[in-house]
Parts: sequence; C-alpha cells; structure tokens
Amino acid sequence: MPLPLPRLLALLVLACAVALGVPTAAHADEERVVKVGTEGVYPPFSYRDPDTNELTGFDIEVMKAIGEEAGWKVEFVEAPFDSLFPALDSKRIDVIANQVTINPERKARYLFSTPYTYSHGVIVTAKDTDDITSLDDLKGRTTAQTASSNWAQVAKDAGAKVQYVQDFGPGVQLVVQGRVDAIVNDNIAVLDYLATSGNDQVKIAGDAGDETLEQALAFRKSDPQLQQEADAAIKKLTDDGTLAKISDDYFGADVTVKGGSEDVDVQASDSRTTWEVVKDTAWPMFVGLVKGNIPLTIISFVIGLALAIAAALARLSSITVLDWIARAYISVIRGTPLLVQLFIVFFGLPAIGIDLDPYPAAILALSLNVGGYAAEVVRAAILSVPRGQYEAATVIGMDYGQSMRRIILPQAARIAVPPLGNTLLSLIKDTALASLVLVPELFREAQVTAAATTEYLPLYVMAALYFWVVCYLVSLAQGPLERRLSRYVA
Amino acid sequence: MSNLIEVSGLTKSFGDTVVLQGVDFTAESGTVTALLGPSGSGKTTILRSMNVLETPDAGLVRIGDASIDFATPPDRRAVKALRARSGMVFQSHHLFPHKTVLGNLIEGPVQVQGRPVDEATADARTLLEQVGLAGREDAYPAELSGGQQQRVGIARALALRPEVLLLDEPTSALDPELVGEVLAVIRDLAAENWTLVIVTHEVRFAQDVADQVLFLDGGVVAERGGAEVLTDPREERTRRFLARMLDER
Repeated sequence: MPLPLPRLLALLVLACAVALGVPTAAHADEERVVKVGTEGVYPPFSYRDPDTNELTGFDIEVMKAIGEEAGWKVEFVEAPFDSLFPALDSKRIDVIANQVTINPERKARYLFSTPYTYSHGVIVTAKDTDDITSLDDLKGRTTAQTASSNWAQVAKDAGAKVQYVQDFGPGVQLVVQGRVDAIVNDNIAVLDYLATSGNDQVKIAGDAGDETLEQALAFRKSDPQLQQEADAAIKKLTDDGTLAKISDDYFGADVTVKGGSEDVDVQASDSRTTWEVVKDTAWPMFVGLVKGNIPLTIISFVIGLALAIAAALARLSSITVLDWIARAYISVIRGTPLLVQLFIVFFGLPAIGIDLDPYPAAILALSLNVGGYAAEVVRAAILSVPRGQYEAATVIGMDYGQSMRRIILPQAARIAVPPLGNTLLSLIKDTALASLVLVPELFREAQVTAAATTEYLPLYVMAALYFWVVCYLVSLAQGPLERRLSRYVA
Repeated sequence: MSNLIEVSGLTKSFGDTVVLQGVDFTAESGTVTALLGPSGSGKTTILRSMNVLETPDAGLVRIGDASIDFATPPDRRAVKALRARSGMVFQSHHLFPHKTVLGNLIEGPVQVQGRPVDEATADARTLLEQVGLAGREDAYPAELSGGQQQRVGIARALALRPEVLLLDEPTSALDPELVGEVLAVIRDLAAENWTLVIVTHEVRFAQDVADQVLFLDGGVVAERGGAEVLTDPREERTRRFLARMLDER
C-alpha cells in the first residue's frame, strides 16, 4: 500500500484540534464568581427538591446565605463526592459545601471555614442485627462507605472492611440486602434518611465514638481570601440568627452549635407514591438524555471515527514511526478503563495547564476511547478490500487520498458497519459515566431523585429503559444502513 | 519519434528471484504487441513496469513523450505522467464493485482528469456500445457475467483516452465459453488501430491480431518477430511452449 503522510498527519491534527475544542477559563473579578461543589444526592444537606427539581438542602441554603453576605456570585456544580476534592484541586470549583468533616489529613491539604454543622457519627445496621452497638463491634465486619469520606477512615480505623459506594443511599440498600453489615455516617444524615424514606429495615445501632465532628466549607490552600470572606460571613450569619433559622427549618434543631444535632427531629418531606416519583422524574431524565447522552454520543462517535480511520491508516502505513504511534495509542486506550481516562482528562490534565470544561473533556475522553476501539475494526475492514482495488485506482491515476476516499473506504465501510454498530452501542451506554466529570445526563438525574426519594429500583429501571430504547432504535437503523452499503453485492 | 513505445534494459528482481534481466522492445503506434511465454517468464512484470505498478530495478520505459529511466528512483510526477499514457485491463478486471458500470467508467475521467460529468457520461455510453454493453449503465459489476465484467474493464481503461492499452491476460480468468466475446472486443480495438500490448496465452488469437510477438523465457526475450513466430518458431523452447499450449486447447 502507498504512503499516507501529509494527508494523514493533517487528518490527525484536525481530529485532535476538534477533539480538544477551545480550553476555556473564565474568571470575572467584578462580582467574584464562586463555584461551589456539592453532591446533590445527599439529603437533607444537598439534594434536588423532588417537586421542583431545584437544588436545595441545608448546605445549599447556608452556602447561598454566605455567598450573599460575602458578595459572591455563587454557582453550584454537582458531582459525586469522590469527584469533589479532585475538582477543587483542579480549580473546577472553588469551595466544597457538602458536610465535609474536618480531619487532620484534609486539614493538611485544604483550608476550612468556621464549622457550620456539629454532628457525631452513628452506626447504621439492619433492623435485626444485634451484635453491633459500637465501633469496637465493627472489627472484621464490612461497612459501606464513600471512598473519600471521613467515615470511611473511621470505619477502617475501627478494623472494618470497607466496601466503597458512590453515595449514602446505595450504601443503605446494601445493608438492607445484607451485603454489608453496617454503615458509619453522620447522625443528621441518617436521621433524615430514616424519616424521608420511612425505611424500617435499618436502625441506628449505636454511636461511632463520642467525638463531636465539625463540618465546614473546604477551600484550596492557595485561596485564603475566600476562606476569610466566608468566615466573616459565617460569624455575621451566626450572630444575626440566620444559620440557626436555616437549621431549624431543616432539622427542628440548631445543628450549627455543638450538641445541637442530638435534638434533630426531621419530618418526612416527600409523600409521593412510587408511580408519581417515576412520572415526575421521567421528563428531567429525558432532558438529560437529549442534552447530555445523545449529543455526547454523536459528537464523540464522529470524532472517534475520524481518529480510528487515522489510526488505522497509520497502522497500515509503511512509515514505522506512524505505525508505532498508532499501536501505542490503541494499546493504551484498550488497556485502561474508560473511567480512568475520563478522570485523567478532566481532573488530571489541568495540572499541566490543559483545562477543559466538562463537556469538551467528556467528548475528548469518549472520542479517544472510541478511536482506540474502532481503529482495529477499520484496519481489518481496509485490509479486507482486495489489493487489485488499489491497483485499479492507481492505474486510473488516483493518488493515495483519492483512492482511499473514493475506492477503498467505501468498500471497507460495508465490512466495518456491524462491528462499529457495537462500538456505537457501547458508547451510548458509556455516556452514563460523563456525570462523573460533571456533565449532567440521564443517569445522574435518576441518581439525584433516587437519593431524595429512595425509589432506587423503579428509577434505575427507568434509566435502563431509556438507554435500552435508544440502543434499540440505533440497532434498528443499522439494518437499512447495512443493506444500503451492501446493495452492490449480488 | 516513430515508435510510440520504447522499453530498454528492463531488469527486476523480487528478493533473490530475478524476473527480468534486460528486456528491450519498441512498438509503433497502432500496432498490437503480444507477450507470450511460460508462467514466471516475466511477461506480466513487463506490463506492470510500463505503468509502474512494479518499479523496475533498472531500464527505461517511454510511452509517447513520457519516459522514466529507472536508474534513479522515479519522482511522483514522472510516474503520474507515464501512467496517464496507458490504460490497464487486469486479468480479474478489478472493477469497483460499489460503483455502477457507468460509475466505473466515469470515475477516472471525472475524478482524475477533471472532465465534466456530462461529457464523460456521453463518452462512456459510446464506449459501452462499442463493447456491446449498451443499456447496462446502471448495473453493478456483480450483476454481470465474467465476460461482461471484463468488457466493462476494457471500456473503463479506454475511458481515460490512453495512448496505449495494456492487457494482462484478459481472458485467463474467464470460463471458456466467455472468452470469445472478450477476444472479439479486443480484435475490434486492433482493427481500429489502437496500440495494444497484450499478455496472453491465446496463441491462435495472437496469431490473428499481433503485429509483433515477443516470446519470453526466464526474464529475457527468447524470440521475437511477426506473427510467424507462432507458426514457424526458430527457437526450440518456443516450439515446445507452443506445442504445449496448442495441445491444451
């Protein structure tokens, strides 16, 4: 096969440029924009109001009050708890408002405001577990915790094995299902959960130590000014009773002072039936699908396919170094988890000055992933075109680019479509991971509502249904496409 | 410049195997040159050297005013210029399966030569009529018989308006009953004074149409002359080869 070279390089550069998009960094100084990272799935502190789908909760309201007092323009960014600290490090957010407990390790890395919640840890077990009442009893048992939470460390220190979960709600499900023995968590969160869910399968089995824990806003070490402004605001809000009032609204007690959490009395807030919850969430999930998963899929697939063709041609090139680069690319992409690739692109690259917004970052990672997987498919398809076709194209005077574009690739497409269909279906489903790099999408909506309502099964099944319907429609389209590409085969 | 084609000192090895060791010939415009010889004698390599599908190790190829001396590696433009002088018909046609008959014929004229689609289409229809396939413009190659496919292959090569047509065993891949229709088309081309260089095993056909016969053996021209080479060979190995070929038929 003849050599690709300049054309191929141009294609590669183009694909990369498109994939990278334009790095953006907006810092307005007039009214400082402060990006606040929060889970959105941790009621009653940070969650979406089931009726309005608005972000709300104790931490959210406290943060809004602080922002107003300090003269900040507060923008909330929702992300899983384990993504919050990487997001803070990589300056995607400026502060975390999510019941972050102050501990020595965190103190070494981050700045903390004055605490705005005082609580203590409790141990949650299944209703009929009677041999766990204190931290000592956790030795050798299994607990479900969020990886980067303070409670995971508490459980580990007590000698428990820790099973990592994404947030509190799924952990409770594991306890109910008997897959883990207990959860260590904040007493306020647990009390709220019990009241909201009406779940009588679990109970508070005992205190996790007698230490009072302090929750505060976390800032970067390099950002002391924000911390100072926040402290000033918290002092003012404490003095004028604003914080006490917010706490009273949520907990019937003032958890912003020591000992206050003992009197917490939360009321069940959501009385909708399962069917109503499902019905109310269907639309936000659909919006997530249309604004998140589908555009991510389409854009990433197109760019990924361009990358795949470039990599396949590089693999087939007689220029050793191109072949070598393509092999390395394919090997790395296929040999590492997509989740890790996403995290490297979004949370890792800012460390070397490549600061992508959530959308471009997700598209870059997904495109690279598709490109790596599809490259070998495309290569095999190109190889399946008989050598005589190159010769026929050559003798009618075509150059490399023309013979690829007009003769070889159209024939290779017929061979490549069925396996590329599989790649596309995988991509559609992989877009569910985009919420981990802060892109709002379908499954994120399901998780948010599930956290607030504890309707896990119906909401997750509905998310699965959405994905299945989309994949089914795509596979329906594949048949006619295959027939069209094969119309010349007798 | 009385000769349209000039080939001299052509040598080519594939690894340790010497395929051509100094081949020379010339051909005048409007003549038919037939290359015959046992398989492995290098006749196809000569043809493929004439449009640089193979790059000879040394030697010169000239068609019309385009020539390449392979003493040094040829540059891209020289190769393009030489290729533009000839059309090629392959043993197994190599039609573009994803394009219709018409699409195959106008691909080169439109995409490479930049001719208007209307003009190329009109030309293509004339050529299809000439090879007896008028009305099959919209068929895909897979819908045609082997003989029809090869006739489209000939028409595709002619569509580029080459000065020389190179035919590489155009009937070898065909069922016996389909050979005749393809040979008839080539005979017509010869009658119309096209300049043809044809690698073939069809001895009787070569006798009929060839103005010049080159008998290849072991990478050299073992015997050359007019069509009489095939009826009254001087060389023993030519005689043996012909006896074997004629026996088989």
